[in-house]
Amino acid sequence: MIGYCRAKRLNLMSQDIALYIHFPFCRRRCSYCSFVSYQGRESDIPDYVNALEKELALRTDGQKVHSIYFGGGTPSLLSPQHIHDMLHTIHSLFAVDEASEVTLEANPSTVDEIYLTAVRKAGVNRLSLGVQSLVDGELALLGRIHTASEARDAVQFARIAGFTNLSLDLIYGLPGQTIASWREALEEVIELGPEHISLYPLTLEDDAPLRTAIQRREIPPIDPDLTADQYELAQDTLAAHGYLHYEISNWARDGYKCKHNMVYWHNLPYLGIGVAAHSYIHGHRLANTTDLDSYLNAFSHNLPPAWELDEDIEPELELSETVILGLRLSEGLCLENIRSRFGIDLLKHYGQQVDEAAGFGLLEYTDKRIRLTRQGRLLGNEVFWRFLPNKTVGADP
Amino acid sequence: MDKSSIRNFCIIAHIDHGKSTLADRLIELTGAMRREEIREQVMDSMELERERGITIKAKAIRLDYKANDGKTYRLNLIDTPGHVDFSYEVSRTLAACEGAVLVVDASQGIQAQTLANVYLAMEHNLEIIPVLNKIDLPTAEIDRVIDEIESVLGYGPENVMHISAKTGLGVPQLLEKIVQRIPPPGGNVDSPLRALIFDSHYDSYKGVIAYLRITDGQISKGSKLRLMGQGTELEVLEVGYFAPEPCPVQTLSAGDVGYIATGLKNVAECRVGDTITSISNGAREPLLGYRPTKPMVFAGVYPTEPDDYLELREAIEKLSLNDASFTYQPESSPLLGHGFRCGFLGLLHLDIVRERLEREFFLSLVVTAPGVSFIVTKTNGQTVTMVNPGDLPLPHEIEKVEEPWVSISVITPSKFIGPLMDLIMGCGGVHKRTEYLGHSKTPGELGQRVQLEYDMPLRSMLTTFYDQLKSRSQGYASMDYEFIGYREAKLVKLDVLVNGVLVDAFSRIIPPEKAHDIGEAIVSKLKEEIPRQLFQVPLQAAVGSRIVARANIPAKRKDVLAKCYGGDVTRKRKLLEKQKEGKKKMKSIGKVEVPKEAFMSVLKLNW
Repeated sequence: MIGYCRAKRLNLMSQDIALYIHFPFCRRRCSYCSFVSYQGRESDIPDYVNALEKELALRTDGQKVHSIYFGGGTPSLLSPQHIHDMLHTIHSLFAVDEASEVTLEANPSTVDEIYLTAVRKAGVNRLSLGVQSLVDGELALLGRIHTASEARDAVQFARIAGFTNLSLDLIYGLPGQTIASWREALEEVIELGPEHISLYPLTLEDDAPLRTAIQRREIPPIDPDLTADQYELAQDTLAAHGYLHYEISNWARDGYKCKHNMVYWHNLPYLGIGVAAHSYIHGHRLANTTDLDSYLNAFSHNLPPAWELDEDIEPELELSETVILGLRLSEGLCLENIRSRFGIDLLKHYGQQVDEAAGFGLLEYTDKRIRLTRQGRLLGNEVFWRFLPNKTVGADP
Repeated sequence: MDKSSIRNFCIIAHIDHGKSTLADRLIELTGAMRREEIREQVMDSMELERERGITIKAKAIRLDYKANDGKTYRLNLIDTPGHVDFSYEVSRTLAACEGAVLVVDASQGIQAQTLANVYLAMEHNLEIIPVLNKIDLPTAEIDRVIDEIESVLGYGPENVMHISAKTGLGVPQLLEKIVQRIPPPGGNVDSPLRALIFDSHYDSYKGVIAYLRITDGQISKGSKLRLMGQGTELEVLEVGYFAPEPCPVQTLSAGDVGYIATGLKNVAECRVGDTITSISNGAREPLLGYRPTKPMVFAGVYPTEPDDYLELREAIEKLSLNDASFTYQPESSPLLGHGFRCGFLGLLHLDIVRERLEREFFLSLVVTAPGVSFIVTKTNGQTVTMVNPGDLPLPHEIEKVEEPWVSISVITPSKFIGPLMDLIMGCGGVHKRTEYLGHSKTPGELGQRVQLEYDMPLRSMLTTFYDQLKSRSQGYASMDYEFIGYREAKLVKLDVLVNGVLVDAFSRIIPPEKAHDIGEAIVSKLKEEIPRQLFQVPLQAAVGSRIVARANIPAKRKDVLAKCYGGDVTRKRKLLEKQKEGKKKMKSIGKVEVPKEAFMSVLKLNW
């Protein structure tokens, strides 16, 4: 059993949090999308913003906030005024750090110079553009509403608007993509000069329309070996251009790691507001309803809506999650941090698992740190599952 | 009742030609049961009988029939098992009768089992009453079938009764015919007791119930009896007949058919075909040569979950209480754990037993590919009989291998002769005879019906043979077979290696010329079904040290949850938990994690 100090745990809980706002609206869903997002309901946006502000008021504990993240859906469908009002509300309800990172996810098709300037002025200081691809044919396959040219323009607009912290997303492992076309894509993105790059292999859940198309053989299937090759190429190429590979799917120039996401990977607390938003506070993992209408109707009697997920994270599970999340970072886990947070020696507590994973060449460790090897990053799951607790702890409602 | 008023008969027919329906009708007409009661209780297909459970089974029913001459006759209707797997049992049942009602479906005509059963009946000198059934069906081809019956069996049209068992048409006339044509039983009530056991089953209250036909003497409650073939001794707890419910009586006499409750614990102690006599004043000669049944088809039966082994053992023990021809021996396999090597009379018997184990005992089973028993003569002169491919001695120790052969009779419309002959010859069949049945002037588009006789190794019948027989003949062909002895065979053992480790459960004994194809099929299937590991996995099929087929599963390159942000943690953790659970369910073969479906699909592979 972990020598765990309850007071310390609570202490952790009243520290800084990251604040996440979910915005589940899109012009049109992409063919690979499995996020919670609604198409054709933009008229509900004003009501939604009101509901968000109500939820913020009802959930706040006056905590210190050091990062704010507007995710979606397509958060760039919010008007600059909405963003301004929400940030204002947040500032009044929480103790927001002046140097907070404030991120807005944006779809290139929904932004122009004016919009981005206004949004910058409202307080957003980091922009994450969902580029996904710079090849129009691939964008069509993905069902994106923008063209490659719009994406390039969006980058320019962002710079003109004054964004100095820009992140671009790209997808690889696309049916039809080759190693050569991927190399070109990487070089183009590097050329565009973002401070931060996120790369994701195409992953299709059961309900993604693209998956049906593949099952019907309308398009070729995803090639896992090619996908692996593309990832390796990205690692080498981005390293050569001065991007630090700091997490399995994320690269950044020095000083531009995404502060908000680091909270997830360090398994620290965060509050999520809005439809389907997740939180990790007071030792519980919580989630809001995924249904927009339920959410909109929920603020009766001045009470926040009930959590759809409420999982008590016991110490053994917290340790497990800390290891699994922490290994995603290239720096891996600091053994001393584990010792002070959980009161255990990780190499002893998980000795067998560490040896097994290291035996397969997926994990490496010193007496100070433990982290995935290059091969381990590609085969992360084979490391992660070994660190699950031996019986499932934490109950779902 | 006077022996002269007794008629012991059975109904013989090909499957689905109407045996059960006719039995129902006879029972109904003689007032033994009302129509509504019939469906629940009476003689039914073998499957249903076993489903219903033991106590309701009625193998022999006594029907009291008031004939047109005013006299009341006692008709003992004895049930015969339908399938070729159980031909030994059919034979014993026939030995208990003086006559047989032969039922032929008017739209189908003579089928393989019709013939097999008729020949058996003739061997037992039974009086046969040919009956054309289902004459009410629009597809009935009465003239053609009558013609067949005459040319194949020698009964003229004037001897054939026309009935519809379903509607009852012609059945009263059949009852009259049974009384008139079938002779009363012979035998002498004053001679020492001789009774033939034609069936038995185990009842938890009364012990083994033996169904008998008494030829000489009589049996009373309390009689002390002995089985002449097996030597088992018993005391009669109860004696009676079936009406169809069991009706105890004080005494059964020569000529009669009924049952005795023996108190014995296991049907193996009281086997079909044996003759019962009294301990004091016993008979000198048994009624028939008694020959215990021999299992011909063998398979490994294992529980899917090793924890269920004890339950499987219990189930097998219970099942064998009532099935004397099913044999079992404990066995173990590195892959499958602890289980049994079971012997069956044939594939149908295997299926019935498997289904009963699964349904009545709620077991989930892994059954290896069925095989036959081989007699191996070693170079040192020793002979061994083996039923598990893993027991085959090394090639240099083998002098010769012999395998069981059967004589098979296939009846088919002539249109399909070609494809069927190809099938049988492809299985190593040796042609004996082709005979045309009937002289129909209008054979129809499928052609005249033909009987093909071949000898072939039983081994080749064990996989897809029956299904192919049916599909190549669009369902029209029927078949029957009988064991004719062992013949020398050129066979080798095909082994399968996963990551260099021999997987015993996959080994098969096959002709050497098929080694490459079968080996190829197995390694391809494994490559399809086994997920990629963290290292490369070689798959090989080998005969001795010679590799006949190989495949390779490349190592996994990528397996990682690419996105893991705040909203993903719980869901992704659950995915990892599933992954971990999945690994627990896999079997480890040479460090390779193999899902159960993978080796099940290889065990089921047919060609």
